[in-house]
Amino acid sequence: MPKIEVNEQLFYSLVGRRWNSRDEFEEVLTCAKAELDEDSDKSLPESERVLKIELNDTNRPDLWSTAGVARQLRIHSGGKRPKYPFFTRPEAPGSTGGPVSGSVGGSAAKVPAKDSPFRVVVDPQLREIRPYIAAFVVSGKAIDDAQLKDVIQTQEKLCWNFGRKRRSIAMGVYRTSLIRWPVRYTAADPDGTKFIPLGMDTPLSLREINQQHPKGQEYGYIVADFPKYPYITDDNGETLSYPPVINSARIGAVQMGDTELFVEMTGTDMETLTLAVSMVACDFADAGYQVVPVTVEYPYDTPFGRSITFPYYFQKPTFCSLQRVEKFLGQALTGAECVAALERMGCGAEEAVDSETGTAEKVPGVRVYPPEYRNDFLHAADVVEDVMIGRTLASFSPLKPRYFTIGRLTPITLFSRKVKELMVGLSYQEMIYNYLGSRRDFVDRMRRDGFTAVRISNPISENYEYLRDSILASLLMSESISANAVFPHRIFEVGKVAYRDETENYGVKTRQNLGFLHASPDANFNTLSSQLQALFYYLSRGYEVRELEDPRFISGRCAEILFQGKGIGVFGELHPQVLEKWGVTVPCSACEVDLEALL
Amino acid sequence: MDIQTMVKNLHPLEVRIIRRYGRSDELTIEKVEADLGFKSGNGNQALSWLAAKGLVTELRRETRVFYELTDLGHRWKTEGTPEERLLRLLNKKEALRLPEIAEALGIENKDVGSAFGALSKFGLVVMDGAKRVALAAAAELMENGLPARGEGAQKLSVVRGLLEKAAAAEGAVLADEALDEAEKVAMAGIAKKRGAADAAFRILERETVVYGLSSESVAVAQALEAAGITGDEIGTLTSEILSQGGWKGAQFRAYNVHVPPSRLLIGRSNPYAKFLEDVKDKLVSLGFEEFDGSLVETEFWNSDALFMPQFHSARDIHDVYYVAEPTKARSIEEPWLSRVAAAHENGGDTGSRGWNYTFDREFTKRLILRSQGTVLSARQLPTAKVPGKYFGIARCFRYDRVDATHLSDFYQTEGIVLGEEVNLRTLLGFLEMFAREVAGAKEVKYVPGYFPFTEPSVEVHIKHPVLGWFELGGSGIFRPEVTKALGVDVPVAAWGIGIDRMALMALGLNDLRELFSYDIENVRLRRANEAAR
Repeated sequence: MPKIEVNEQLFYSLVGRRWNSRDEFEEVLTCAKAELDEDSDKSLPESERVLKIELNDTNRPDLWSTAGVARQLRIHSGGKRPKYPFFTRPEAPGSTGGPVSGSVGGSAAKVPAKDSPFRVVVDPQLREIRPYIAAFVVSGKAIDDAQLKDVIQTQEKLCWNFGRKRRSIAMGVYRTSLIRWPVRYTAADPDGTKFIPLGMDTPLSLREINQQHPKGQEYGYIVADFPKYPYITDDNGETLSYPPVINSARIGAVQMGDTELFVEMTGTDMETLTLAVSMVACDFADAGYQVVPVTVEYPYDTPFGRSITFPYYFQKPTFCSLQRVEKFLGQALTGAECVAALERMGCGAEEAVDSETGTAEKVPGVRVYPPEYRNDFLHAADVVEDVMIGRTLASFSPLKPRYFTIGRLTPITLFSRKVKELMVGLSYQEMIYNYLGSRRDFVDRMRRDGFTAVRISNPISENYEYLRDSILASLLMSESISANAVFPHRIFEVGKVAYRDETENYGVKTRQNLGFLHASPDANFNTLSSQLQALFYYLSRGYEVRELEDPRFISGRCAEILFQGKGIGVFGELHPQVLEKWGVTVPCSACEVDLEALL
Repeated sequence: MDIQTMVKNLHPLEVRIIRRYGRSDELTIEKVEADLGFKSGNGNQALSWLAAKGLVTELRRETRVFYELTDLGHRWKTEGTPEERLLRLLNKKEALRLPEIAEALGIENKDVGSAFGALSKFGLVVMDGAKRVALAAAAELMENGLPARGEGAQKLSVVRGLLEKAAAAEGAVLADEALDEAEKVAMAGIAKKRGAADAAFRILERETVVYGLSSESVAVAQALEAAGITGDEIGTLTSEILSQGGWKGAQFRAYNVHVPPSRLLIGRSNPYAKFLEDVKDKLVSLGFEEFDGSLVETEFWNSDALFMPQFHSARDIHDVYYVAEPTKARSIEEPWLSRVAAAHENGGDTGSRGWNYTFDREFTKRLILRSQGTVLSARQLPTAKVPGKYFGIARCFRYDRVDATHLSDFYQTEGIVLGEEVNLRTLLGFLEMFAREVAGAKEVKYVPGYFPFTEPSVEVHIKHPVLGWFELGGSGIFRPEVTKALGVDVPVAAWGIGIDRMALMALGLNDLRELFSYDIENVRLRRANEAAR
């Protein structure tokens, strides 16, 4: 869950109000599913104070910026929904003339594509490499330190979390004053193309940047296998950047005081990219900048056509019935109440009679128009949650459930309890162990070959590489570190093991076993035999024994436990080599039984 | 210690000493054991105890000397001393040089030398000009080779006597005070304190302590007499005493009830395991039915069936462990596979527009170690009863470095509620019940939450008397993309409680790793913390 650092002064100026106490503020943050991770240091001057906020909703990337959280809080607390007149909308007939920028219905202000002074032209070769680019220009005000920090943070959070580590979104910001239009998004020769990247002072080729520049080492792999790499220049051939890796040191180095900025994003999914651009544009607009659209000309088809002017509103409305709202919230709400709640969440909404996706019947409900910076309504259920938060969760009182069901434990749990009780009666101490361990512990030290154990292909360390297939190793681990505990040691565990089994769909079987170990100068086969007899007697299960050769046990001092003719367990005196490998110098006898087989 | 307490704490051995002797008596271990018929060692013990209590005092220490027969001494007794053997040899042979004698007798040259010296002083042997040794003309030997009369005879026979007596004595030890003057002189020549390998006797010094009853003992003796305590009270009550009536009229020794009892090693359940079973019982009492499943699962049930898109960053958040072999399940059950795939791609018939990507039917079969308890809820949906309530306490695995707040594998407590009356408000009602009944909380609050598979989602926070507010768990109404795809038409609430944190509080621990401690002594001594609840 992303954590962001928010300049306190900037934040509160965007929200437009403050709250009286930290508690109150934290409660208000819940409408954004946010938590105050760390309050600001009050000893610093106001302009330097920073709040740390943690965001919990991975479907709301618009909240991962200072302006985004501020906007949510502002509107939810009664502020007006903002107008964003710089958006373009689809021209196709029948497209919803739905609300954009704080008004319901009607058509929104459009900047005709041909009037936009800023254009980007795309190279056809990029279709197979990194096909999409979206962009806009920001002007009207000099960028200050707080805003610059915020832009960089947004870039990071968005591209890392939402953009899957720059794979589906990478963002660049540039100084427009140095750009000759149109900007060209091309596919360039990795070796022949050179420029001075940000952070260095000599020109490197794109491939060299991958090898030598830290950002190249981090992100170069995304495009490294292609014959050509993405590359952005202006009309003069001056380098803007090599996406998704690094800006140029000249045009790509935004500084405090710059008044006109060009923001672009490249990526592999058009909707994700377009939404990301919309979010960042709205953030700038909230901060008082003017957003000027940019038209991108594609030589191939995209989901939104071949000539698109960004920021672009592509979101579709979602219809949710009042029936659903009542059914899922447990409270009957009128259409007007729902609309009001949705508006407090920044959405446009209107009462309507329509049918939900996948149903035919037309019913009363609300039609929701996502705000420009959101696209998280996949199902009418998403509308219900926004209504809930819009009205605040506290407005819903808990209702005691009325209907009756019978509770019960699984047969294996009940049987295991009987077994545990008897083991305690046999003076054994119950233990509870981790199921992950090392090869050394589960295989090598047990004189086994490890073929039946389940191995993890991406363990965090070799200490947690295997899933245990027997409880005996865990018991021996206890024994090996408990030489100072008063003897005798009698320990047991009822727990799960897993082992490979070809006959299973998963190729692995999970079982609940009993494992117990007796360590003492007089821990021998006979003592264990007696304990086993007592255990099975009181479990009312008959059993037989048969000699068994098992490398973990001393030959001739090991037996298999048979239940209804099948082998379901083993017991005996542990082999001195096993004890030696564990560093145990007290004789041990042990037993393991598959409890599920006894059910 | 006051008299009465002292009297109660006296051992019968001590009692008998105090009652038998007076202040003028001199007590040693030997005397006490002999007079009172104590077993060996009891005299020492009783006097030590009395000394510690100040009832006897040490009058003096006497050092007594003893002589212990060494291995060499034993050989001398059996084979003869060097002097005796030299005489016997010369009795048979004419004359020999000292080295020849040494060789013949198997004795060191220096020992032969000193034997010759001693015998020659007694006039029993002589050496000629050619350094040959022979019996003196005047020497008269008996049949056994020993001299018949004279100083030499006397001296040799004293030594012989010492050897014989020692060999026959208990412990092969002779007391110095039991020797006469002649014996003492002879002994001085053949006994050594150290280097006993080359002496016939080893000198031992033993200290005997002589005790006397102290002035404090007088009052104690009187109190014992007044109380009628003789030291003959019954210790262990045996079957014999019972059946023969020996207890009638007899007194019983009292136990000192303040002595700390010795520790017992008992069989016992593990407090953490017990805690989990108690939680299960509470949930059963709320009408929930238990479920569990395989530790190894597929991406399908663990995540895809919960409508988490295969590309979503939420999937990275709790990275999973992958199984090395086999890597995939053989198949995923239909119709669930197709229905879930459709839900992801375009919403299927769940009423959603879906995630709009191509669902990877190979990736979905990948085998992993289950990372969340919600996998069990997903698995239950196709066969769940309506109305129905289910729960499980499941061992789950996540890719996380192990430390005080993270484990390699841990428990999650999860469950679902299905029914027509399931909605946000009844969900809040359930959460309140969990908070009160399972966690024992008095104050509860709700916060909007986020989970990829529920909408709406709610977190429940409770107030702990010491730690303040913290998140007890999360919940929500399953998204229709989850329930409808798996064949369920009614609303389903899903909930999860952070059980390990509750366990830490209940057991008074701070570090999650201690819940799974391998240390036997640690586990033996751990008890539930009653105050924490």
